[in-house]
Amino acid sequence: MFGKRKFEQELDEELRSYVELQAAEKVRRGMSPEDALREARRELGGMDQVKENVRDVRPGIFVDTLIQDIRYASRALGRDPAFALVAILTLALGIGADTAIFSVVDGVLLKPLPYPDPDRLLTLWEHSQADGLKTTVAPANFYDWRKQSRSFAKMAAIDPYPDFILDGSIGSQRLSGADVSADFFSLLGTRMELGRDFLPEEDRPGSNYVVILTYAAWQRYFGGRADIVGQAVTLNGAAYTVVGVLPRDFSFVSKAADYHARNQFDLFRPMALPAPPPQWMRGTHSLCVLARMKAGVALEQAQAELDLIASNLERLYPSQNKGRGIIAVRLQQHVVADVRSALLTLLAAVALLLLITCANVANLLLTRAAARGREIALRAALGASRTRIARQLMTESLVLAAAGGLLGLILVYAGVPALVRHLPADLPRTPEIAVDGRVLISTSLVALLTGLLFGLAPVFHARGSLRQGGRGVIAGQSRLRSMLIVGQIAMALVLLTGAGLMAKSLWTLLQVPPGFRTERILTARLSLPPQYTNGYKFGTGAHREISAFQQRLLDRVRAIPGVESAAFTAYLPLSGADNSWAFVVEGRPPKPPGEFDKVNYRPVGPGYFETIGIPIKRGRGFNSSDNEDGPLVVAINESMARTFWGSTDPVGQRLSFSEDKWRTIVGIVGDVHHHGLDTKAAPEIYIPYSQAPNVEARPIIVLRTLMEPLSMAAPLRQAVAELDRGVPIDRITTMQKLVSDSAGQPRFRTAVMLTFSLLVLFVASIGLYGVMSYVVSQRTPEFGIRMALGATRGAVMHLVIGHAAKLVGIGIALGLTGAALLSHTIATLLYGVAPIDAVTLASVTTLLALVGIAAVYVPARRAAKSDPMESLRHD
Amino acid sequence: MPQSEPGLLQGTLDLLILKSLALEEMHGMGIARRISQITNGTFEVKAGSLFPALYRMEHAGHLASSWGESETKRRSKFYRLTKSGRKRLQAESERWERISLAMANALRST
Repeated sequence: MFGKRKFEQELDEELRSYVELQAAEKVRRGMSPEDALREARRELGGMDQVKENVRDVRPGIFVDTLIQDIRYASRALGRDPAFALVAILTLALGIGADTAIFSVVDGVLLKPLPYPDPDRLLTLWEHSQADGLKTTVAPANFYDWRKQSRSFAKMAAIDPYPDFILDGSIGSQRLSGADVSADFFSLLGTRMELGRDFLPEEDRPGSNYVVILTYAAWQRYFGGRADIVGQAVTLNGAAYTVVGVLPRDFSFVSKAADYHARNQFDLFRPMALPAPPPQWMRGTHSLCVLARMKAGVALEQAQAELDLIASNLERLYPSQNKGRGIIAVRLQQHVVADVRSALLTLLAAVALLLLITCANVANLLLTRAAARGREIALRAALGASRTRIARQLMTESLVLAAAGGLLGLILVYAGVPALVRHLPADLPRTPEIAVDGRVLISTSLVALLTGLLFGLAPVFHARGSLRQGGRGVIAGQSRLRSMLIVGQIAMALVLLTGAGLMAKSLWTLLQVPPGFRTERILTARLSLPPQYTNGYKFGTGAHREISAFQQRLLDRVRAIPGVESAAFTAYLPLSGADNSWAFVVEGRPPKPPGEFDKVNYRPVGPGYFETIGIPIKRGRGFNSSDNEDGPLVVAINESMARTFWGSTDPVGQRLSFSEDKWRTIVGIVGDVHHHGLDTKAAPEIYIPYSQAPNVEARPIIVLRTLMEPLSMAAPLRQAVAELDRGVPIDRITTMQKLVSDSAGQPRFRTAVMLTFSLLVLFVASIGLYGVMSYVVSQRTPEFGIRMALGATRGAVMHLVIGHAAKLVGIGIALGLTGAALLSHTIATLLYGVAPIDAVTLASVTTLLALVGIAAVYVPARRAAKSDPMESLRHD
Repeated sequence: MPQSEPGLLQGTLDLLILKSLALEEMHGMGIARRISQITNGTFEVKAGSLFPALYRMEHAGHLASSWGESETKRRSKFYRLTKSGRKRLQAESERWERISLAMANALRST
């Protein structure tokens, strides 16, 4: 600053001396001293102009002018606080909303996975050529893939099914675990926080009594004790040793649907597949497979090698592997595949919101620029160059954008954690959503870009007004403003249409009857420890300990006041858990090798259909005599009856699950939407729980209550604890909640879209109001004259509303075109609604038109009230 | 015919300033007067062009300045050539001569 003052002083002195020397020379030529001085000054051509020219070439001039411009801009904005406040708030909303959604998109879609060289990570799936579906992998196939492939540095399998019951000081706890290949963590590149990774020799049957805990499980169940490594813990009644603890920031990035809706694990155990696995392990498809490609191997090469392996296995094991390919997908791509288009749509919506914000602030600035025309002309006359004025106006816009950006950032810091809490539970990678450096950079860029974008408007305007000498150029300017308004309305219509379609789609989805009762149903999951399941052998259909426990619990629960009925199931609809089995129908010719009839498989207890409200269409449901000692029976749903029996009556027919036992179909029940309201009901077979050929150690109890179902949670817990303290109970929830959560993704995106479009509607209506107010104030003299010449107030009002209607009309027409053009992008996100929906378009258009009329009504009234005399005096 | 700035190419102005300072140091007014003299009044440099050029060249290191007393006993800023300024004068003069020779030849040819 000191250097700058000195510079100014010296420049001033130098120029004065120059003028005096000039004058002295003129005096020498015979001019009078006064004339000479005046003449010398005139020749100089304005001291300020010369100084300004010199300043422009001075070193460091950029920083100085910048500081000066920022000060000037802040002062200018401070003089008009209402304007500054509206502009900054609008920008903060736009930039804040944009950044918040960006932080979600960045965390879920864009950030590389939190592992070294994430591009080399793949997921491998079996792929059925018959139906084109990806399925989980048979252990024996995984074993062969790993052995025969050369493209991969490592290949590991995950079986997310095992659960562990921990006996500890705080009672029995259910921990969710996964069995993994020993090199699972080294494949991901994860190092342990404490202890060590699994050893290869621990990945063998009988040697795998070791576990690695997640950081959260270590803290929660073991109080974060430092000596945990090497400790023995009792899991499912057996002694395990804790060998390692994962770091706090470890997260296993996965898609919830691959892991029975559970992707947060407490602990991991070596999978210990037999080497080589027995052949029956080629028919059970239970594993998720991860692979890391060797450096320099391309996905196509890896896929080509896998194709070769698949055709070898198909030749060697035709009965299980006929028509089975292998498909490799990049892990990142696989995990976000289902949410990509929804998130990108939200990002596009928020970008539109930001553009509308820009247009609005540009409009505000133009209003101001009109009022400041004279100030700008004055500065130009005082020697400010055209670029200097442009720079100054630009600085003002950038100061606004920066303030808006800062405020927006505060909104983001406050809003993103709340947003994350409201994200649908099955959205992958949510732990990676954070307001971090990447988000800050994006906010700054967005603020800068918006500043530049809306800052252009006043600069163009200033150029026009300089050319025309300070008296605003009304015609050209109002054309720019009208264009901005038309653009805003068009974009608002596009957004509103998107939101309207999503809302209608969500509403349609929630109207789908799920196939069961949702009111007053409480459900909870129980985990039976090994003493209930030991001694059990596959196919016996006899697990009397489980049946006895269930019966004792039902007796207690039914006695709770407020409980109407209670029953058990193994796979609750909309819980994410599922199982499917192959079966054969008695008397039908056997299928060729590798082909199966497969249906979803549901062990349920007596009274289940009545309790959860699945209608019995023919025959009967299950009762207490359908037990270990009774004849084997099943019930099927309508869609199974239709698929496998067509118009003939299946009741009385028999079928078998490849265990040489025939089960008689005794009833046909209604279809349910097991996986979601938007997926088609699939064929299902129900088996009495106590006749199930496999063990189902995680029965889910379903209670039909007379009052608010959650009020039954405490008595239920107590009943279980009284019966056996060693049986953990969790996932206590209502059917209503499960249904509502199943629509979590569409609900979330609809909520976001609706919020945005309401914001946009508000912002656009403010913009329209502003423009019309301005037009009215500019045309007041004209209105006055018209009224003096006999125009009625109504006619003047009509004039103003007509003007606005033209803008809104053009905007709506453009918006409708845009919405139609963009309709295909949203099509995949919609359920039961066509992307071009007449009702939605009509209601959105009407809404926008009504808001438009409301926004111009006040200015129109003002115009109609203009006093002819007053108007004529004006200016 | 005196010519004012718009017709004066920037390179020309720089070269004229360097040339006028070749013999002795001078203040701004002196430089303007000298340019007018050595071009027989063809170039009348105005302050609005002269001073920005002086500041620019000083910043580029071709000129140095110091404060002294003018012939009217007034404190004035005097400019002189630096080493790099002399080199530049040399180089620019040669370039200019080449160009003007080429131009003259071009215009004479038929």
